[in-house]
Amino acid sequence: MATTSKQYLTRGEDLWKGRAEKVNAELFALTYGALVVQLIQDYEDFAEVNKQLEKMGYNIGTRLIEDFLAKSGLGRCTDFREVGEVIAKVGFKSFLNIVPSVTHNAPVPNSSRPTSTGSAPQVDNGSSFVLTFDENPLAEFVELPEDVLEGGLWFSNVLCGVIRGALEMVQMQVQAEFISDVLRGDEATEIRVRLVKYLEEEVPVGDD
Amino acid sequence: MPPGLRVNAVAFISAQNHPIIVRTFSAQDETTIKYHYIAHTSLDVIEERVNAAGGKSTDCYLGLLYAMEDVAVYGYITPLKVKIVLALALSDSVVRDVEINMIFKALHMAYYSSISNPFLTHNDDSVDGSRTLTVGSTKWKNFRRRIDEIARVVGNPTSTSIGGG
Repeated sequence: MATTSKQYLTRGEDLWKGRAEKVNAELFALTYGALVVQLIQDYEDFAEVNKQLEKMGYNIGTRLIEDFLAKSGLGRCTDFREVGEVIAKVGFKSFLNIVPSVTHNAPVPNSSRPTSTGSAPQVDNGSSFVLTFDENPLAEFVELPEDVLEGGLWFSNVLCGVIRGALEMVQMQVQAEFISDVLRGDEATEIRVRLVKYLEEEVPVGDD
Repeated sequence: MPPGLRVNAVAFISAQNHPIIVRTFSAQDETTIKYHYIAHTSLDVIEERVNAAGGKSTDCYLGLLYAMEDVAVYGYITPLKVKIVLALALSDSVVRDVEINMIFKALHMAYYSSISNPFLTHNDDSVDGSRTLTVGSTKWKNFRRRIDEIARVVGNPTSTSIGGG
Protein backbone atom coordinates (compact mmCIF):
# COMPACT_ATOMS: atom_id res chain seq x y z
CA MET A 1 0.00 0.00 0.00
CA ALA A 2 1.63 3.22 -1.11
CA THR A 3 2.25 5.77 1.60
CA THR A 4 0.56 9.02 0.77
CA SER A 5 2.31 12.32 0.64
CA LYS A 6 0.42 13.50 3.70
CA GLN A 7 1.69 10.52 5.65
CA TYR A 8 5.23 11.42 4.66
CA LEU A 9 4.71 14.97 5.84
CA THR A 10 3.38 13.77 9.18
CA ARG A 11 6.27 11.37 9.53
CA GLY A 12 8.73 14.15 8.85
CA GLU A 13 7.01 16.43 11.33
CA ASP A 14 7.10 13.73 14.02
CA LEU A 15 10.76 13.06 13.41
CA TRP A 16 11.58 16.76 13.67
CA LYS A 17 9.63 17.18 16.87
CA GLY A 18 11.01 13.97 18.32
CA ARG A 19 14.59 15.04 17.95
CA ALA A 20 15.87 15.89 21.41
CA GLU A 21 18.89 17.91 20.34
CA LYS A 22 18.46 20.78 18.01
CA VAL A 23 21.05 23.42 17.25
CA ASN A 24 20.55 27.16 17.07
CA ALA A 25 19.83 28.13 13.48
CA GLU A 26 21.96 31.26 13.52
CA LEU A 27 24.93 29.37 14.91
CA PHE A 28 24.48 26.77 12.19
CA ALA A 29 24.27 29.38 9.45
CA LEU A 30 27.27 31.29 10.76
CA THR A 31 29.32 28.09 11.05
CA TYR A 32 28.53 27.02 7.51
CA GLY A 33 29.21 30.51 6.21
CA ALA A 34 32.60 30.61 7.92
CA LEU A 35 33.37 27.21 6.43
CA VAL A 36 32.58 28.32 2.88
CA VAL A 37 34.59 31.52 3.22
CA GLN A 38 37.55 29.58 4.56
CA LEU A 39 37.36 27.13 1.66
CA ILE A 40 37.34 30.03 -0.77
CA GLN A 41 40.43 31.47 0.86
CA ASP A 42 42.16 28.09 0.82
CA TYR A 43 41.35 27.01 -2.72
CA GLU A 44 40.78 30.35 -4.44
CA ASP A 45 39.05 28.53 -7.31
CA PHE A 46 35.29 28.43 -7.11
CA ALA A 47 34.86 25.25 -9.12
CA GLU A 48 37.21 23.53 -6.70
CA VAL A 49 35.28 24.92 -3.74
CA ASN A 50 32.08 23.52 -5.24
CA LYS A 51 33.76 20.16 -5.57
CA GLN A 52 35.03 20.22 -1.99
CA LEU A 53 31.63 21.19 -0.63
CA GLU A 54 30.08 18.33 -2.56
CA LYS A 55 32.71 15.92 -1.23
CA MET A 56 32.07 17.04 2.32
CA GLY A 57 28.37 16.60 1.75
CA TYR A 58 28.99 13.13 0.38
CA ASN A 59 30.77 12.10 3.56
CA ILE A 60 27.99 13.57 5.65
CA GLY A 61 25.32 11.86 3.56
CA THR A 62 26.82 8.39 3.85
CA ARG A 63 26.53 8.69 7.63
CA LEU A 64 23.31 10.60 7.81
CA ILE A 65 21.36 7.90 5.99
CA GLU A 66 21.94 5.48 8.87
CA ASP A 67 20.44 7.90 11.36
CA PHE A 68 17.58 8.61 9.00
CA LEU A 69 16.66 4.99 8.32
CA ALA A 70 16.95 4.05 11.97
CA LYS A 71 14.75 6.85 13.21
CA SER A 72 12.20 6.92 10.42
CA GLY A 73 11.77 3.19 10.03
CA LEU A 74 10.81 3.64 6.40
CA GLY A 75 11.24 0.72 4.09
CA ARG A 76 12.67 0.61 0.59
CA CYS A 77 11.12 3.01 -1.87
CA THR A 78 9.28 1.36 -4.73
CA ASP A 79 10.48 3.71 -7.41
CA PHE A 80 12.57 6.81 -7.91
CA ARG A 81 9.53 8.99 -7.68
CA GLU A 82 8.98 7.84 -4.14
CA VAL A 83 12.63 8.51 -3.38
CA GLY A 84 12.07 12.13 -4.27
CA GLU A 85 9.00 12.36 -2.07
CA VAL A 86 10.72 10.81 0.91
CA ILE A 87 13.81 13.00 0.60
CA ALA A 88 11.77 16.17 0.40
CA LYS A 89 9.05 15.46 2.92
CA VAL A 90 10.76 13.27 5.48
CA GLY A 91 14.49 13.78 4.96
CA PHE A 92 14.80 17.52 4.73
CA LYS A 93 12.00 18.02 7.21
CA SER A 94 13.54 15.89 9.90
CA PHE A 95 17.01 17.40 9.62
CA LEU A 96 16.52 20.99 8.55
CA ASN A 97 12.85 21.55 9.23
CA ILE A 98 12.22 22.67 5.67
CA VAL A 99 10.08 20.95 3.05
CA PRO A 100 11.22 21.64 -0.49
CA SER A 101 8.63 21.02 -3.17
CA VAL A 102 9.29 18.17 -5.59
CA THR A 103 8.78 18.12 -9.33
CA HIS A 104 9.21 14.73 -10.94
CA ASN A 105 10.52 14.15 -14.44
CA ALA A 106 10.17 10.91 -16.32
CA PRO A 107 13.30 9.44 -17.84
CA VAL A 108 14.31 10.90 -21.15
CA PRO A 109 13.50 8.23 -23.73
CA ASN A 110 16.64 6.98 -25.40
CA SER A 111 16.00 5.22 -28.70
CA SER A 112 19.43 3.62 -28.78
CA ARG A 113 18.89 1.88 -25.49
CA PRO A 114 17.93 -1.77 -26.02
CA THR A 115 14.50 -2.68 -24.74
CA SER A 116 14.87 -3.69 -21.18
CA THR A 117 13.98 -7.22 -20.29
CA GLY A 118 15.18 -6.71 -16.76
CA SER A 119 13.28 -5.78 -13.66
CA ALA A 120 11.24 -2.63 -13.22
CA PRO A 121 14.02 -0.45 -11.76
CA GLN A 122 15.68 -0.31 -15.18
CA VAL A 123 12.85 1.90 -16.34
CA ASP A 124 13.75 4.51 -13.78
CA ASN A 125 17.29 5.15 -15.02
CA GLY A 126 17.56 8.67 -16.17
CA SER A 127 14.50 9.83 -14.30
CA SER A 128 14.97 12.83 -12.11
CA PHE A 129 13.25 15.15 -9.73
CA VAL A 130 13.81 18.77 -8.89
CA LEU A 131 13.72 20.04 -5.33
CA THR A 132 12.64 23.64 -5.05
CA PHE A 133 13.57 25.38 -1.81
CA ASP A 134 11.68 28.44 -0.69
CA GLU A 135 13.95 28.85 2.30
CA ASN A 136 17.53 27.82 2.95
CA PRO A 137 18.73 27.80 6.55
CA LEU A 138 22.35 27.57 5.40
CA ALA A 139 22.21 30.90 3.62
CA GLU A 140 20.51 32.89 6.32
CA PHE A 141 22.62 36.06 6.23
CA VAL A 142 24.51 35.54 3.03
CA GLU A 143 25.03 38.06 0.29
CA LEU A 144 27.48 36.95 -2.36
CA PRO A 145 30.03 39.55 -3.46
CA GLU A 146 30.57 40.14 -7.17
CA ASP A 147 33.67 38.05 -7.67
CA VAL A 148 32.00 35.09 -6.03
CA LEU A 149 28.92 35.53 -8.19
CA GLU A 150 31.00 35.54 -11.34
CA GLY A 151 33.08 32.63 -10.14
CA GLY A 152 30.11 30.30 -10.18
CA LEU A 153 30.00 29.27 -6.54
CA TRP A 154 27.03 27.20 -5.42
CA PHE A 155 26.91 28.24 -1.79
CA SER A 156 24.86 25.34 -0.48
CA ASN A 157 26.55 22.69 -2.59
CA VAL A 158 27.03 20.54 0.49
CA LEU A 159 23.35 19.60 0.17
CA CYS A 160 23.98 18.01 -3.23
CA GLY A 161 26.73 15.92 -1.72
CA VAL A 162 24.52 14.83 1.15
CA ILE A 163 21.85 13.60 -1.26
CA ARG A 164 24.39 11.75 -3.41
CA GLY A 165 26.09 10.13 -0.41
CA ALA A 166 22.88 9.10 1.27
CA LEU A 167 21.38 7.55 -1.86
CA GLU A 168 24.59 5.74 -2.70
CA MET A 169 24.33 3.89 0.60
CA VAL A 170 20.93 2.62 -0.47
CA GLN A 171 22.19 1.37 -3.79
CA MET A 172 21.31 4.29 -6.00
CA GLN A 173 23.87 6.20 -7.97
CA VAL A 174 22.62 9.71 -8.58
CA GLN A 175 23.83 13.03 -9.83
CA ALA A 176 22.72 15.96 -7.72
CA GLU A 177 23.42 19.50 -8.76
CA PHE A 178 22.12 23.00 -8.33
CA ILE A 179 20.17 24.48 -11.21
CA SER A 180 19.49 27.87 -9.70
CA ASP A 181 20.03 29.75 -6.47
CA VAL A 182 18.39 32.90 -5.10
CA LEU A 183 21.80 33.94 -3.75
CA ARG A 184 22.91 34.23 -7.36
CA GLY A 185 19.90 36.30 -8.25
CA ASP A 186 17.82 33.50 -9.75
CA GLU A 187 14.10 33.15 -9.15
CA ALA A 188 14.32 30.08 -6.97
CA THR A 189 16.75 27.69 -5.37
CA GLU A 190 16.57 24.31 -7.10
CA ILE A 191 18.50 21.06 -7.00
CA ARG A 192 18.09 18.45 -9.72
CA VAL A 193 18.65 14.85 -8.67
CA ARG A 194 19.05 12.42 -11.55
CA LEU A 195 19.20 8.68 -11.20
CA VAL A 196 22.17 7.26 -13.06
CA LYS A 197 21.64 3.63 -12.16
CA TYR A 198 20.83 1.25 -9.39
CA LEU A 199 23.90 -0.29 -7.84
CA GLU A 200 24.38 -3.97 -7.31
CA GLU A 201 25.06 -5.12 -3.78
CA GLU A 202 28.79 -5.52 -3.66
CA VAL A 203 31.54 -5.76 -1.14
CA PRO A 204 33.03 -2.30 -0.59
CA VAL A 205 36.48 -1.83 -2.10
CA GLY A 206 39.26 -2.59 0.32
CA ASP A 207 37.19 -4.69 2.64
CA ASP A 208 38.83 -7.98 1.82
CA MET B 1 2.62 55.18 15.40
CA PRO B 2 1.74 58.89 14.96
CA PRO B 3 1.47 59.90 11.30
CA GLY B 4 3.86 62.80 11.62
CA LEU B 5 7.05 60.83 12.20
CA ARG B 6 9.49 61.44 9.41
CA VAL B 7 12.93 59.95 9.41
CA ASN B 8 15.36 62.46 8.00
CA ALA B 9 18.51 60.48 8.46
CA VAL B 10 20.06 57.40 10.00
CA ALA B 11 23.73 57.19 10.87
CA PHE B 12 25.75 54.22 12.08
CA ILE B 13 29.07 54.95 13.75
CA SER B 14 31.56 52.29 14.69
CA ALA B 15 33.11 51.70 18.06
CA GLN B 16 36.22 53.58 16.92
CA ASN B 17 34.01 56.53 15.99
CA HIS B 18 34.35 55.97 12.26
CA PRO B 19 31.18 56.46 10.27
CA ILE B 20 29.82 53.21 8.91
CA ILE B 21 26.94 54.59 6.97
CA VAL B 22 24.95 57.80 6.85
CA ARG B 23 21.66 57.48 5.02
CA THR B 24 19.47 60.50 4.41
CA PHE B 25 15.87 60.59 3.32
CA SER B 26 15.22 64.24 2.72
CA ALA B 27 14.78 65.51 -0.79
CA GLN B 28 17.82 67.67 -1.33
CA ASP B 29 21.34 66.35 -1.68
CA GLU B 30 22.88 69.34 -0.03
CA THR B 31 21.60 68.27 3.33
CA THR B 32 23.62 65.05 3.35
CA ILE B 33 26.63 66.87 4.71
CA LYS B 34 24.42 68.40 7.36
CA TYR B 35 23.59 64.95 8.65
CA HIS B 36 27.24 63.99 8.71
CA TYR B 37 27.71 67.03 10.91
CA ILE B 38 24.77 66.05 13.09
CA ALA B 39 26.11 62.54 13.49
CA HIS B 40 29.47 63.97 14.43
CA THR B 41 28.13 66.30 17.09
CA SER B 42 25.97 63.50 18.40
CA LEU B 43 29.13 61.60 19.25
CA ASP B 44 30.04 64.08 21.95
CA VAL B 45 26.61 63.97 23.47
CA ILE B 46 26.60 60.18 23.40
CA GLU B 47 29.96 59.97 25.08
CA GLU B 48 28.75 62.36 27.72
CA ARG B 49 25.63 60.31 28.38
CA VAL B 50 27.51 57.04 28.47
CA ASN B 51 30.05 58.38 30.93
CA ALA B 52 27.35 59.86 33.08
CA ALA B 53 25.65 56.49 33.27
CA GLY B 54 28.95 55.09 34.53
CA GLY B 55 28.67 51.49 35.64
CA LYS B 56 25.01 51.20 34.83
CA SER B 57 25.48 51.17 31.09
CA THR B 58 23.24 48.28 30.22
CA ASP B 59 20.69 50.52 28.53
CA CYS B 60 21.08 50.65 24.77
CA TYR B 61 18.57 53.38 24.19
CA LEU B 62 19.93 56.83 25.00
CA GLY B 63 16.85 58.88 24.24
CA LEU B 64 16.73 62.37 22.85
CA LEU B 65 20.26 63.66 22.53
CA TYR B 66 19.46 67.17 21.41
CA ALA B 67 17.32 69.13 19.03
CA MET B 68 18.52 71.65 16.53
CA GLU B 69 16.94 73.61 13.69
CA ASP B 70 14.29 71.29 12.36
CA VAL B 71 15.48 67.93 13.62
CA ALA B 72 15.35 65.99 16.83
CA VAL B 73 18.27 63.64 17.27
CA TYR B 74 17.99 60.36 19.13
CA GLY B 75 20.81 58.04 20.09
CA TYR B 76 21.32 54.33 20.68
CA ILE B 77 24.45 52.44 21.54
CA THR B 78 24.85 48.71 20.98
CA PRO B 79 26.64 46.49 23.46
CA LEU B 80 29.70 46.55 21.19
CA LYS B 81 29.71 50.33 21.22
CA VAL B 82 28.32 50.82 17.73
CA LYS B 83 26.28 54.01 17.83
CA ILE B 84 23.10 54.57 15.91
CA VAL B 85 21.92 58.14 15.45
CA LEU B 86 18.42 58.85 14.26
CA ALA B 87 17.39 62.30 13.07
CA LEU B 88 13.66 62.86 13.01
CA ALA B 89 11.94 65.88 11.60
CA LEU B 90 10.57 68.00 14.42
CA SER B 91 6.84 67.83 14.58
CA ASP B 92 4.14 68.86 16.97
CA SER B 93 2.84 65.36 17.52
CA VAL B 94 3.83 63.53 20.66
CA VAL B 95 6.73 61.21 20.06
CA ARG B 96 6.92 58.29 22.41
CA ASP B 97 10.20 56.80 23.58
CA VAL B 98 8.96 53.28 23.14
CA GLU B 99 8.36 53.84 19.42
CA ILE B 100 11.80 55.34 18.89
CA ASN B 101 13.25 52.41 20.77
CA MET B 102 11.42 50.04 18.41
CA ILE B 103 12.92 51.84 15.42
CA PHE B 104 16.37 51.51 16.96
CA LYS B 105 15.86 47.82 17.64
CA ALA B 106 14.87 47.29 14.01
CA LEU B 107 17.95 49.21 12.84
CA HIS B 108 20.13 47.23 15.22
CA MET B 109 18.76 43.96 13.84
CA ALA B 110 19.31 45.16 10.27
CA TYR B 111 22.92 45.93 11.16
CA TYR B 112 23.32 42.56 12.84
CA SER B 113 21.92 40.69 9.83
CA SER B 114 24.28 42.51 7.52
CA ILE B 115 27.44 41.94 9.51
CA SER B 116 26.55 38.27 9.86
CA ASN B 117 27.21 37.91 6.14
CA PRO B 118 30.19 35.56 6.07
CA PHE B 119 31.57 37.26 2.95
CA LEU B 120 31.90 40.62 4.62
CA THR B 121 35.46 40.14 5.84
CA HIS B 122 36.31 38.11 2.77
CA ASN B 123 37.88 40.97 0.87
CA ASP B 124 38.45 43.23 3.79
CA ASP B 125 41.96 44.61 4.05
CA SER B 126 41.45 46.92 6.97
CA VAL B 127 43.36 45.78 10.00
CA ASP B 128 41.37 47.38 12.72
CA GLY B 129 38.33 45.31 11.94
CA SER B 130 36.12 48.25 11.20
CA ARG B 131 34.10 47.61 8.10
CA THR B 132 33.80 51.22 7.12
CA LEU B 133 35.87 51.07 3.99
CA THR B 134 33.60 48.67 2.17
CA VAL B 135 30.32 50.40 2.92
CA GLY B 136 29.90 51.77 -0.57
CA SER B 137 30.22 48.34 -2.14
CA THR B 138 27.52 45.91 -3.14
CA LYS B 139 28.00 43.82 -0.03
CA TRP B 140 26.16 46.44 1.97
CA LYS B 141 23.37 46.71 -0.56
CA ASN B 142 20.95 44.72 1.56
CA PHE B 143 21.83 46.77 4.61
CA ARG B 144 20.95 49.98 2.77
CA ARG B 145 17.78 48.34 1.54
CA ARG B 146 16.78 47.33 5.06
CA ILE B 147 17.41 50.81 6.41
CA ASP B 148 15.32 52.28 3.59
CA GLU B 149 12.56 49.82 4.34
CA ILE B 150 12.55 50.73 8.04
CA ALA B 151 12.43 54.43 7.23
CA ARG B 152 9.63 53.83 4.78
CA VAL B 153 7.56 51.86 7.26
CA VAL B 154 8.06 54.55 9.90
CA GLY B 155 6.86 57.19 7.51
CA ASN B 156 3.86 55.19 6.38
CA PRO B 157 2.41 53.53 9.45
CA THR B 158 -0.76 52.58 7.60
CA SER B 159 1.06 50.33 5.17
CA THR B 160 0.73 46.69 6.14
CA SER B 161 4.08 45.49 4.88
CA ILE B 162 6.38 44.00 7.46
CA GLY B 163 9.82 45.62 7.61
CA GLY B 164 12.49 43.60 5.87
CA GLY B 165 15.30 41.76 7.62
